[in-house]
Amino acid sequence: MTQLSGIGRLNIGPAPFGVAAAILCTLPVIALTFMALSGGGEHLEHLVETQLAEYATNSILLVISTIIGTLILGLPSAWLVARHEFPGRRLFLIALPLPLAMPSYIAAYAWMAMTMAGGPVHSASAGIFPTVSGLAGAAFVFSICLYPYIFLLARQAFENLGMKSFEAARTLGASPWRAFHSVSLPLARPAIMAGTALVVMETLADYGTVDFLGTPTFTVGILRAWISFGDPEAAARLAMILLLLTLIVFGGEKLWHRGQSVAELGGRTKPARRLVLSPKTSVVAIACCSIPVFFGLVAPIWMLAKLALETQAVRSPFDALQGTVIVASMSAILAVIVGLGAAYAARSGGWFAKASVQAAHIGYAVPGAVAALGVIAILAVFQNLLDMAFGPEAPLLAGGGIIGLLFAYQARFAAAAIGPCESALARITPSMDHAARSLGARRWSVIRRIHAPMALGGIATAALLVFIEVMKELPATMILRPLDFETLAVSAHHFASDERLAQAALPSLLLVGLGIPIMLLVSWLMARQQQDGVHS
Amino acid sequence: MRLGILAVIVAAFSLSACDGMQSGGASSDGEMLVVFSSRHYDSDYALYDAFEKETGVDVRTIEADGDLLVERLKADGARSPADVIITVDAGRLWRAEQEGLFAPLTSDTLEQAVPADKRHPDGLWYGLASRARVLVYAKDRIDEGALAGYESLADPAMKGRVCVRSSGNIYNISLLAALIDRWGNDKAQQWATSVAGNFARDPQGGDTDQIKAVAAGECDVALVNHYYFARLMREDKDVVKDLALFWPEADPGVHVNVSGVGVAKHAPNPDLAKRFIEFAMSEKSQRLFAELTNEYPAVQSVTYENAALAELGEFQSDSISLQKLGENQAEAQKLFDRAGWP
Repeated sequence: MTQLSGIGRLNIGPAPFGVAAAILCTLPVIALTFMALSGGGEHLEHLVETQLAEYATNSILLVISTIIGTLILGLPSAWLVARHEFPGRRLFLIALPLPLAMPSYIAAYAWMAMTMAGGPVHSASAGIFPTVSGLAGAAFVFSICLYPYIFLLARQAFENLGMKSFEAARTLGASPWRAFHSVSLPLARPAIMAGTALVVMETLADYGTVDFLGTPTFTVGILRAWISFGDPEAAARLAMILLLLTLIVFGGEKLWHRGQSVAELGGRTKPARRLVLSPKTSVVAIACCSIPVFFGLVAPIWMLAKLALETQAVRSPFDALQGTVIVASMSAILAVIVGLGAAYAARSGGWFAKASVQAAHIGYAVPGAVAALGVIAILAVFQNLLDMAFGPEAPLLAGGGIIGLLFAYQARFAAAAIGPCESALARITPSMDHAARSLGARRWSVIRRIHAPMALGGIATAALLVFIEVMKELPATMILRPLDFETLAVSAHHFASDERLAQAALPSLLLVGLGIPIMLLVSWLMARQQQDGVHS
Repeated sequence: MRLGILAVIVAAFSLSACDGMQSGGASSDGEMLVVFSSRHYDSDYALYDAFEKETGVDVRTIEADGDLLVERLKADGARSPADVIITVDAGRLWRAEQEGLFAPLTSDTLEQAVPADKRHPDGLWYGLASRARVLVYAKDRIDEGALAGYESLADPAMKGRVCVRSSGNIYNISLLAALIDRWGNDKAQQWATSVAGNFARDPQGGDTDQIKAVAAGECDVALVNHYYFARLMREDKDVVKDLALFWPEADPGVHVNVSGVGVAKHAPNPDLAKRFIEFAMSEKSQRLFAELTNEYPAVQSVTYENAALAELGEFQSDSISLQKLGENQAEAQKLFDRAGWP
């Protein structure tokens, strides 16, 4: 709370929050940079001579096909749900983001089990449905698991932006497609880009799925440098290369579109008025929205449930469920505080604050296990400082409680909260601030009475994203958790790594199940926000 | 108002977190043993329970993949809460040993129980249980007489018929590390290249998936760990009804790897750690590994009831020093990379 109220003190300015968020999110990367600089180059040379080209090619092909896949699944459904009225719309509103709760490696296990020779889909389709494996299989799995990033951010943008411009374009005789294409889509571009960035970074950082499906990407090279060659420094170096390349691509994209950003003119935001679809078009809309949910949620859940029912649960998953809820909700709340601070900084701060906030995003493209390596190193430094200050009585950071774990989650995922917080604040035009201020409202009161209600939907999205990321996180959770502390992801992984998919099914199902009430909560918050829009 | 609600939520969660921290901390009365393990099998949970029951000691665990455990132990240094370290695969034991994470443990009981080739010469770690890397083939498509040792997978007659998982997997790396020691670099390289040329499909999935692929007719022979086959024999008979396990004994024996246990260098309770390790080598503990996870107990005199293992019968294992598996690990990955075994 003290952090938030600090924003009110204009003389300090919001920049420190951007800087603080940036430091938090970049610390592990800084640690990795030190590691990268300290190692030798022997193993890297070997990699360059042998597999590196294949790793890189696979990564690039996978990213491109995943972007296409997620856009195909995420954009039309977002546009339909945001701007149209058709039977089942409210159901899809909740169901479409849910595949995000499915860790992609679990989806990969389920889909491979369904489609491999002897699996139910393989038998039912007489072998026509291809086995989900290799590059195409990985692209399929990432598309069905990650399209909700596009959906969530694009839907938010479609609902809030460009309403008047879209209607103006329609009044001037533009077809709905043309109005969408030349008005709504450019307005939503920053949000879609933010979603795409998340998709790309998750795809690049994944190890479990690509390893299982047999598509060695750059990340496989990174993990092998560490695990097979026993050279974590080489792994850190490769991770930094991957990170730099990602930064260049996104930096390039930002430069390319610089000055093209479009903002809806000020004034009162109107609540969304949705176009009612005819029965015929409704069928198409329902199909467009059902397909992603079917592939990403229904089919894998059906397979997992089948497996879970056929198998006796070895251990009660209740402790793991409780553990997941505790760490994920605490992290979501912390991340919203960090994300809002950073978004305010980026909104009203100078170039330094803006640059800091950009920097906060970079940790996202580091593979989870390697990021955990950075967090372990940073925590060791903190621990040494603590020990120096307090001697042997100093508390243990890692494993002593959940502090080390919460730090790891913030360092890794707070950046995911910044984007939605920024786009939430983007709806609030500077003129609203000026109006409120000129009417005598103090800064804190502007935040509370104008910013908070308007930004609530975006904040809820931010909290949801972080909750779900933390819920799925594996390497850092495994290694930094307190003794005997379980989460659903850890317990699913234990069974899956022992090739007991049937036992992994129950915790996986609970992971997805946990996403449902969270989504309901978020959509309720959003509904309230729209009402606030009407009454304000 | 909303911020007020938020404050209440934060406070509530902070409280529940403190709760979690207390239950995660040391209990003031009874003794506590902290185990860092990269194994997460039913047999191990049964072992911890049995130890708790017999001694009244509270066993607390952190389970994570072996390489993360090593990094955590390195970073924690003298502040590490770990008493006992358990890890799968001799290669990983070797790495932990190289990092100086073990404290030597001398115990007459242990030296008598565990054969010399299944423990570290200075008592840094002791083998708990072992697993063999074997061939599984389709009885109707491959004649047992056509199989000899691991070199059978490189046979030109096997073109397009072999299923194996990816080369980054530690089971494959340790096998090739053993073959390097057995045959030398050149022959090992040739073997890897020929096997990669015989693949029925790109490596994907785990060992169980390879067995299922043989059952489904995608390939005729697979390279897997024996306990995955034994588990299917016990739990999923349909999959393995037309399959058989072959012990690749030729030249000069089946590759066997161990899971091992040692005392952590900075163990807060070294005596308790010793007691635990001795307990783990007792007859009734060792049985658990055979009966619950289908592994072979490190203590050879142990008798157990496991119909699947009994059916698989005896085999001749190679006599490589387990240290070599660690030493040749990086080289093995390089050979795989050059062979184009993804």
